[in-house]
Amino acid sequence: MITKDLLRYKTKDGQIYPQFVKPTDSKLLSVSDQLISIFEASPHTPRATLLETSKHIVDSAPGALIVKRGLEKLLLDRTEFDTAPNEELIAFRQNLFTETSRILSQVQFSDYEEYQQKVSQIAGDISQSEKGEIGDRLYADLPNCQPVLSFKTLSAEHLLHRYNTAQVQGLLLHCNSLTLNLSESMTAELRQLFKYLRFNQLLSTIRKEKIGNESCFQITVDGPLNLFYKTKRYGMNLANFFVAILHQPKWEITAEIQFRNKRSSRLYLNESCGIKPISQQFLAYIPEDIQLFQEMLHNKTDDWQILPGSQFLPLPGDYYCFPDYQLIHTSGIEVWIELFHPWHQGHLLARLNTLAEQVTTPLILGVSKELQKQTIIAEAMETSDHFSKLGFTFRNIPTMGSLLPILNSVVDSDI
Amino acid sequence: MNPLKLDFDKGTLILQNVSEEFQSELPDILWDERTLTHRAPAYRYRHIISQLRAHDIPYEDAARQFTVKQFDNHKTLSPYPYQSEAIDAWHANGKRGVISLPTGAGKTFIAILLIADTQRPTLVHVPTIDLMHQWYEVLKEHFGQEVGLYGGGQHELQDLTVTTYQSAVMHAPHYGNRFGFAIYDECHHLPGDQYQYAAISSIAPFRLGLTATPERVDGKESRLYALVGECCYEAQVQELSGKTLSEYRVVTIAVNMEDTERVQYEDARSIYLNFLKKARINMGTSRGWQTFLWKSSQSEEGRTAFKAYLTQKQLSFASAAKQDWVWKLIQRHRGDRILVFTQDNDTAYQIGTRFFLPVLTHQTKPKERNSFLNGFRDGTFSILVTSKVLNEGVDVPEANVAIIVSGSGSVREHVQRLGRILRKREGKQAVLYELISKKTSEQFVNQRRRRHDAYQKR
Repeated sequence: MITKDLLRYKTKDGQIYPQFVKPTDSKLLSVSDQLISIFEASPHTPRATLLETSKHIVDSAPGALIVKRGLEKLLLDRTEFDTAPNEELIAFRQNLFTETSRILSQVQFSDYEEYQQKVSQIAGDISQSEKGEIGDRLYADLPNCQPVLSFKTLSAEHLLHRYNTAQVQGLLLHCNSLTLNLSESMTAELRQLFKYLRFNQLLSTIRKEKIGNESCFQITVDGPLNLFYKTKRYGMNLANFFVAILHQPKWEITAEIQFRNKRSSRLYLNESCGIKPISQQFLAYIPEDIQLFQEMLHNKTDDWQILPGSQFLPLPGDYYCFPDYQLIHTSGIEVWIELFHPWHQGHLLARLNTLAEQVTTPLILGVSKELQKQTIIAEAMETSDHFSKLGFTFRNIPTMGSLLPILNSVVDSDI
Repeated sequence: MNPLKLDFDKGTLILQNVSEEFQSELPDILWDERTLTHRAPAYRYRHIISQLRAHDIPYEDAARQFTVKQFDNHKTLSPYPYQSEAIDAWHANGKRGVISLPTGAGKTFIAILLIADTQRPTLVHVPTIDLMHQWYEVLKEHFGQEVGLYGGGQHELQDLTVTTYQSAVMHAPHYGNRFGFAIYDECHHLPGDQYQYAAISSIAPFRLGLTATPERVDGKESRLYALVGECCYEAQVQELSGKTLSEYRVVTIAVNMEDTERVQYEDARSIYLNFLKKARINMGTSRGWQTFLWKSSQSEEGRTAFKAYLTQKQLSFASAAKQDWVWKLIQRHRGDRILVFTQDNDTAYQIGTRFFLPVLTHQTKPKERNSFLNGFRDGTFSILVTSKVLNEGVDVPEANVAIIVSGSGSVREHVQRLGRILRKREGKQAVLYELISKKTSEQFVNQRRRRHDAYQKR
């Protein structure tokens, strides 16, 4: 991400507009290419040398300085430096300082030069180094001297998309909540979106709204403490979450951005901003847990097919959830599974409360045994009609032993 | 009616089966649409429980994940009378509140006695890694049991745990219900925009804040008192000087820059001031610095002005003449234990490299950090150069001379630096030298700073 001083935005009439770069701008692509080349060639180069070389491009290439510094910052974020302690140098310092401390306490030097000569002599005894070298070498393991270990390269165009993403993320760091609208025709990418939401410890409310002629899901995302404070406590989580939004084909977000001691402004963005997803991991693929689940199910029965969750499921009271898995029986019966891990306590209580109003929702709840250890959760599970019919517990991953009886009961009762 | 159920969820409390009457008693309890439960900030736990008890409302408490623990203090030291008074005041304040005492007056010892009194799993919050390790050693020494560390790459929780504020902000939503007693050392940090969530996300009913100076420039000490409790005991440095703190004197040395540096300084300052004038920036206002940063980044002229600003600042902070004075003072105080303070890391390393001295900054790796600090304490190293990491809390009782080469200008920082050399030792006379570049902005800053009580005693 980029720091606040590198953000580019304009505000007008209470709106805030991030100033994106054109990912096809030939001048910027050229600058990006030059910077990337420098970073690609940087392994083993000390940090200060790398920065000096890139500064030359930043200062001399055409284009706004703030943009070039932003690009440089994003490349630095992809660079790993050798920060391991230099034991030899640490031992040298320990020995040298013990001696300098001793002589400074005991000896009255006529001037600084006499002291310097004496230290050179001591240093020579310690490490056999040449005279006059000590000053240069004494703290030669400071960050500026640390060599580059590796750099994760990328294309110039990808860097410019990252830059635009970082502009939005930099603003979201200063917001307390975010509203996301998604049209109904969504695919499996949604699953990743909700995984990301939970991973970032965020809470959401999902409602169905009509915007113009189009019906969409409106998801308000924030954190537990937002109920009490207009806090930016979750700004980082929301900024991280934005990466997942970019994978949706059609989306729009609104957020109130407030910098310290300034009036808040409204950020509005949709997919037409043209930022390409910056992370490959969100492409639709079958995650390992689904593969494992599929294998386990296939070993036990051919009657059910398991798919990653890919759509919103209506719940009683105009609420919606986004289940983890969808199961389809050969007869056409469909059920969904939502899993609750130890950190999903609030989510589980909410789900049990919602489902208390209606037992016919075809949603199977899988609850971690760790979560069940909590008295309040255990009691809520015990008293839930829905859970008694469509609930099971699991240790690490759900097992067919606990799931299959529920699936069979669903077929028998045809919920 | 089902009993009210209370649980901890990510730094908040979830309440189920809340009656309408009870909800009106507690304005902090709100209905949460997202989870269809009532919710309250975790720090309101004590208030909620006392209200439930007061109204005789049955409840099930699944939030609290701690029980009474006995902590035996293996050391039998007696508190000074003012320490006993502070302890009594904290108890009388309902086992909450801030104790304000000068550095070196034994705030940590008060905390040790209160941990033993309170008998609850305790989480100590500190601002720096060095302080975290110092508390770790002290707790181990007094209680002779495992002490957990959370921060600086360590993630171990024990009934006695020390954490940094930064780490607590991130992790309190997960463990905020495991401690009954929360101690906030250097608690003037707590009301910061983010740090306050370390206290908000914890249910600890017993809370202690420790500081030498609770007041904040932004006036947010009221937030501190809301989260930790009112200031229940306070003593000033003058009241304890010579009794429980060492005698001290402050010597200001006005240093003339060398001619070449003076010319460079004047040139750079004039470029900087001309830009301020042209861009109509008033640095005396609260927004002055931000405006300067913004406007100077907008043009080549602005960037030149910003570089000039840094140059004149650097010259006044670390002129050759100041370094000559450092040498003179080091020679004058042969055999003493000297701390050299600078405003920035670059100057600290310049001095360390020139005089071949250990330098302690946030860039120093943990192993060497400990080695430098322990070496300074046991006399292996008689001089330690540092920028800001030793400003607060870190205990170096052997230090009796401080040389301030440069500083931020804040009164708090200088009082804290003075505090590093005030811990009492038989016959100790502490001296604090301030090196001020003549005819620079440092002179005005110094005059402003000297209005503080600590400078008024003589």
